[in-house]
Amino acid sequence: MWRFLGTRLAMGALTIWITTILVTLLIHAVPGDPVQIMYAQSQGTTPEQIEEVRRSLGLDRPIPVQYAMFIERLLHGDLGNTIRGGQPVLDVIMQRLPNTLILACAAMFIAILIGVPIGFLAAYREGSVVDISLMVLAIAGISMPHFWLGLMLLFFFALELGWLPVSGSGPLNLILPALTLGLSNAAIFARLTRSSMIDVMSQDYVQTAFAKGLPKALVLRRHVLRAGLLPVVTMMGLQFAFMMGGTIVVENIFSWNGVGRMAVEAIFQRDYPIIQGFILTFSVVVVTVAIVIDALYAVLDPRIRRA
Amino acid sequence: MILRRNSLRRLAGAAGIVAGLTSSAAAGDIVWARYGDIDSLDPHRATSTLSLQVWSLLYDTLLATDAEGLPVPHLAKSWTSNEEGTEYTFSLQDGVMCHDGTPLDANDVKYTIDAAFSEETPSVTKGSWGPITSAEVIDPLTIKLTLEKPFVAMIPFLADSFSSIICDSNGDGFGTTTAIGSGPWKLVSWTKGDRIVLEKNPDYKNFGKLAENPGAPHEDGLIIAVVPEPQARLAALKTGEVHIAEPPFDDVPSIKESGELDIIVAENTGQNVFWEFAVHRPPFNDKRARLAVAHATDAAAAISLIYGDLSVQENCPVSRGVFGNDQDFCAQYRPGYDPEKSKALLAELGYSMDKPLETALLVWTGGNRQKLGEVFQAQLAEVGIKASIEIMDIGSLNARVRQENETTTGTTGSMDMMTWSWYDPDILYALWHTPGAYRGYTSPELDAMLDETRVLTDQDARKAKVQEVFKYLLENAIHVPLYTPGWEWVFAVRPEVDGFFVAPFVYPNFSDVKLGG
Repeated sequence: MWRFLGTRLAMGALTIWITTILVTLLIHAVPGDPVQIMYAQSQGTTPEQIEEVRRSLGLDRPIPVQYAMFIERLLHGDLGNTIRGGQPVLDVIMQRLPNTLILACAAMFIAILIGVPIGFLAAYREGSVVDISLMVLAIAGISMPHFWLGLMLLFFFALELGWLPVSGSGPLNLILPALTLGLSNAAIFARLTRSSMIDVMSQDYVQTAFAKGLPKALVLRRHVLRAGLLPVVTMMGLQFAFMMGGTIVVENIFSWNGVGRMAVEAIFQRDYPIIQGFILTFSVVVVTVAIVIDALYAVLDPRIRRA
Repeated sequence: MILRRNSLRRLAGAAGIVAGLTSSAAAGDIVWARYGDIDSLDPHRATSTLSLQVWSLLYDTLLATDAEGLPVPHLAKSWTSNEEGTEYTFSLQDGVMCHDGTPLDANDVKYTIDAAFSEETPSVTKGSWGPITSAEVIDPLTIKLTLEKPFVAMIPFLADSFSSIICDSNGDGFGTTTAIGSGPWKLVSWTKGDRIVLEKNPDYKNFGKLAENPGAPHEDGLIIAVVPEPQARLAALKTGEVHIAEPPFDDVPSIKESGELDIIVAENTGQNVFWEFAVHRPPFNDKRARLAVAHATDAAAAISLIYGDLSVQENCPVSRGVFGNDQDFCAQYRPGYDPEKSKALLAELGYSMDKPLETALLVWTGGNRQKLGEVFQAQLAEVGIKASIEIMDIGSLNARVRQENETTTGTTGSMDMMTWSWYDPDILYALWHTPGAYRGYTSPELDAMLDETRVLTDQDARKAKVQEVFKYLLENAIHVPLYTPGWEWVFAVRPEVDGFFVAPFVYPNFSDVKLGG
């Protein structure tokens, strides 16, 4: 188990290290002079100032030196300052990261709470009307674009009923974006849980258990559920990463102050220090989640611990 | 979606849940929602309209802008300059207080200017202040600015929020957590990406800013919230969570019709949307190709189709409200809509309907500009110009335009619908004086004229020179004006809001606002 976790940790560290290299190269990947682009709309900026920014970003130095400077700063917890506004990037990200994590966790909670039981029920009643209707519902859920579902929820609960606020930051403001994200992910979990459960139920050991005359509920709880949830756990990790970066549409509709919106704004404004900081933070969160998921996987499936 | 609104409302009432329960704004707070946030509270650190609008609420400027967009006294009650235009002496109003209770005097003005020219962190608009070499405190209410050479655009600059006077009591955290000025509103808090909370400055004295109110704002607080999604802004306006916001464009006619909200359109925004071309390669290195585009463009028809009466055709390279703008003067030189002339010019260049002139047409995303681009594309196709539209964000557009100008080979042209806003014709210096913001068209002749527009201290002489520049730009189809305003200029306002107006250069003013029942 410890060796397994150790390997995972080492791989995670390697991933983050590679990310730091890519992040340094990123600024050179865009055609044209990045600093000129950043200041293209600032009428009063003098050429000396542009040079100064280039110096402060280290862009006048060879790339390996730039990388060394970046790592040195990073080790001191310094991700640089934003181009627009000149604030420390770390502060800007840390102010919003909790919002994104809260939203992703709440949405994940809703997705699992709704998706897994539906999938389980559909598998249990495989081929029945219940199964078919649940799966039609799930396909509708997966196909529904976030922006449409979000706007519909907003119109209904905020505008028509007036139960929830349209925008802002507070516990009540979390409900609608979490529902929007959660519902479409619930559909994914429902489909995955169903197919995985059906797969496990056809396994010999489950058939044997049934043949021995064990009660259905006991077989399902003891033998099917645990094995059947393994792919769902994997999916949780992937979906969590998706929710971290892919919530921009939901964040926009509900004015949720998260990192996704921040990153897109930074890309539009060519604010490289924020983009670099975001990618790095994002990779750390995704790697951490992946390690946690792997550990969870190992707990659920003893075969993995031995491997 | 069809819903029976009343029955649902009753249902909500029965459930004991009342609309607005969650609103964090207090009764005397005006809530203004915008699509984005400021970059900084420090006027030396950013250039966006979103930032400028907030600075104008927190800080004062030496001069202010009147309804026509001209500079008038404000913190400075008068000013004089020497004959050469290299020394300006401003006398300041007495009794102005900073938000922290310290008096605002010449030392604060010096502090602001020294910060703008600081060695380590100069202002991002340092170049627009002009060649100031020193700011000298003569006495607490008199400050003298010395310039290396004359720079007449400094006076209008001192009326714009770029030159906001920062109190010298600002210390650590200035720009992010503190912002001590002398404006009508004081900073309470700023949560980046979410909202700015302001409270009224009870000691405020308005000397020259456009507002009827000579003192403190009527309402206690002002919340500036970020609501990026247009439909969400409209929903928040309807529920009463927000009082003032930019509505979704396509909903403006139905909002007007229903009378549910008032629509206010900003005037004298200084915003100019225009054609410009990649001039260092064919086909647009030839003036005739540029003129062909200009003559094929029916801006008035296109705008009316897309924006109705929310925007108007502009004839000058700087828009209404900016010094020198004169529609009649510019109309004489602006290549007008004349498809036959356009076809004749294209024929001279060897193009025809069978062998069209091919060009990229770059458009800034948002504000229905892509739809407008399609109308222009159809107009150009009528004369045999095949334009392929490419839509991109403003950052990419700026980069791409410069890149296109630096590309000197190839036969496919590039033109773009560029957008700029500035309070003075000095913007033309930035765009068209060597080397040019986008490395586009320049000539020694144009450079000489532009140089003069910076030093002529006599207003009439300067106006004549500025208009000479207009004539040159229009006749050579270098900067072909299309329309004004162009972005973030429409406001939807709830009926209980009284006294809201937008000052020139899109500065919303809240000093006169009263929230009625």
